[in-house]
Amino acid sequence: MSLPRVFISGLGVVSSIGLGKDEFFRSLETGKSGVSTVESFDASNLGRSLAGEVKAFSARDHLTRAEMHRTGRCAQMTLAAARMAVNDAAFKNEELKGGRTAVVLGTTMGEANVFAELDERWIRRGEEALPRALLPKYGSTLLPIHVARAIGAEGMVLTLPAACAAGNYAIGFAADMIRSGRADRVITGASELLQELQFNGFVRLAAMAPERCQPFDLNRQGLILGEGAGIVVLESEASLVRRGARPHAEVGGYGLSCDGYHITRPRPDAAGSIVAMQDALRYSGITSNDVDFVNAHGTGTRANDAAEAKVMMEVFGDRRVPISSVKSMIGHCMGASSALEAIACVMTIETGIYPPTIGFETPDPECNLDIVANVARRGKADIVLNNSLAFGGYNAVTCFARPGVLPPPERLPTAA
Amino acid sequence: MNRRALTGLGIVSRLGVGKDFLDEGLRKKETPPYLPIESFDATKYATPHVYEVPSFDAKKYLGDKGLRSLDRLTKLMVVASRLALHDAGLKKDGEFVGLAGDRIGFCCSNAYGMLEAATELDRVAKLEDVRYINPAKFPNTVANSASGYVSIWEDLRAINVTVSDGNCGALDAVACADIYIDSARADVILVGGAEAMTEALYVAFQKLGVLDLGASIGEAAVFMAYESVDTAKKRGAKILAEVIGYGTSFVAPDDERLIFASGEAMVRAIRGALEDAKLTPNDVDLVASGISGLRDFDDTELRAIRTVLPDVAIAAPKQHFGDTLGASGAVGMAAAITWFAGTPPVLHLGAAPKKLKRVLVTTLGYYGNASALLLERSE
Repeated sequence: MSLPRVFISGLGVVSSIGLGKDEFFRSLETGKSGVSTVESFDASNLGRSLAGEVKAFSARDHLTRAEMHRTGRCAQMTLAAARMAVNDAAFKNEELKGGRTAVVLGTTMGEANVFAELDERWIRRGEEALPRALLPKYGSTLLPIHVARAIGAEGMVLTLPAACAAGNYAIGFAADMIRSGRADRVITGASELLQELQFNGFVRLAAMAPERCQPFDLNRQGLILGEGAGIVVLESEASLVRRGARPHAEVGGYGLSCDGYHITRPRPDAAGSIVAMQDALRYSGITSNDVDFVNAHGTGTRANDAAEAKVMMEVFGDRRVPISSVKSMIGHCMGASSALEAIACVMTIETGIYPPTIGFETPDPECNLDIVANVARRGKADIVLNNSLAFGGYNAVTCFARPGVLPPPERLPTAA
Repeated sequence: MNRRALTGLGIVSRLGVGKDFLDEGLRKKETPPYLPIESFDATKYATPHVYEVPSFDAKKYLGDKGLRSLDRLTKLMVVASRLALHDAGLKKDGEFVGLAGDRIGFCCSNAYGMLEAATELDRVAKLEDVRYINPAKFPNTVANSASGYVSIWEDLRAINVTVSDGNCGALDAVACADIYIDSARADVILVGGAEAMTEALYVAFQKLGVLDLGASIGEAAVFMAYESVDTAKKRGAKILAEVIGYGTSFVAPDDERLIFASGEAMVRAIRGALEDAKLTPNDVDLVASGISGLRDFDDTELRAIRTVLPDVAIAAPKQHFGDTLGASGAVGMAAAITWFAGTPPVLHLGAAPKKLKRVLVTTLGYYGNASALLLERSE
């Protein structure tokens, strides 16, 4: 039985390399790095001081005074990116209003700076010093609430805190909501801000590179953190046709699995991640031969990149499909990463340009892949996969395609 | 939403560990006494309006290996999941029966799960040194960590999802699981919610004045095996209840408030659940409401229920458990399952229903959100 097709009609970006999809992708295309010395907190004594911090974003340019008052920085980036996506989709007044529009967002820690401010006061001055008005601003629940308020959406408001795969989780679920008739439009994607506690934690996990994130390089030394918000508008075909709008891309199937192996490390045999990628193909009604490009999770850690290479070799066999990691430029934006990368995938489909993996110097025999090294490459980009892995053993892969390329989505009888 | 079966219940709450405590606990008209707080040093705090799992000792259920880096939430969740898997007949003596782990998923609501680890590690960094942060505890600062640990401990390798929508989250988790079952991503999903007591949660709710207004906060982990009726029958599983309708809504306030009880959202959620089940208001026998002692929110929720269901009997399961936030909708579902099995409900309003065929579970969020889920006794 055929299901409704789902399209992406709007893209919104807040990133360290630009605001809005066009500036973001121009920077990716030219290999511009957004990594710089962290300014929002003192990282000088940690041995690691670099991140893809968003420095050119002023919330006041995007939010009302009242919105500024009731949000933290994570929600501010989210709301700004959501407005960009809604504008990009060219909705007219009130078209998003009502119960058929839902908001489903991913994040890892949500308003982590609100938490940090509250906790700092509690630690230094005791619970009496906690400002009552600040308490309700904390909570990952709030991100979709703020967006729904801004656009008049009255359907489901949901956060999927799926760590570094949160964007793919949210986009996949949002697409299924539309396919199953539970919504006509879903504002989805993910956001994350750089915060001291996370930064400290990654330092202690010994996962962070001192200078550069070099995915798939033999001498890679780890990840570099980043932040940002990537929001997309998902829409049913009927809704698009009704308002005469043009889609950027179609959302294909997606795959999810859980390793059940280790809370931070991927399975060395990458079995869960392989299942997730194979499921993304199966749910899209395609085979690995149809895929033109893969946006890698590509964190630049030894374990991640090796596992990801295994996935590519298992899924694609001898076929060397171009793969690249934009984390080499924007860092690992945690919850936001797979949402920002989904937007990069959509832009790749629109432009035929594969963004480069910058800083790539020495091939790693363990990662024997066709890496788009250092310079962007032009190529066929009808069908693109977006790979992600996360704490908790999460694996999530989404598929995006040029409109008209994928077969009609089908209901699958069983997944196995 | 498709008609689905709930086939197993695992619950860890103020009433005890396991569902055997529910019958006795839910019969009592009086609220449980407050016990000394165990999860943190509460000697300096005045208001004891907290319902923890009494004398919770994870070692008793999980052994003493591998627990050191787990937070309280994770331990509560692993125990409740294990109980649910065994109650549903999906495991026997720790081994899978019938279905393998890659066909069983996990979908859990949680609102504030990372607070224990985040506050602990933040204190280490601020008061000692970043170098003393225990990297094994860092993953617990991530909201889906506890769900990930459940997959490791119980070897559940299909979808694993954490959802967050405040105290509406557990009912939303069922709606999510419905989509994941519908798209064949798992044959059975453990669905529900969990919240653990932490000092940060307690201090926040006390500071907001919630505990002085008569509400109690509680901790609980509640999971139910959720699957198609066909799968349940094929497995020969006992169906505890069927899930037949879901509705949710968000309505923004007219002013700039952030905390806001929306009666309109609650009305729409209830109507949505009825429409989803293709039923009328007369088909609902009892409401497991989310009323908790917070007058503004309770009044709004009761008015909304009465708007759609003028004569229905209304119960308030939170009187037995406290407001368990991310778990609260699942607690309402557990109460409904217990009532279906014959335990008479303690009513908050209205006359005892003549029959108990269908129970509507309602949850009203703090930010204008509301959700409702309709359950039916299985014949």
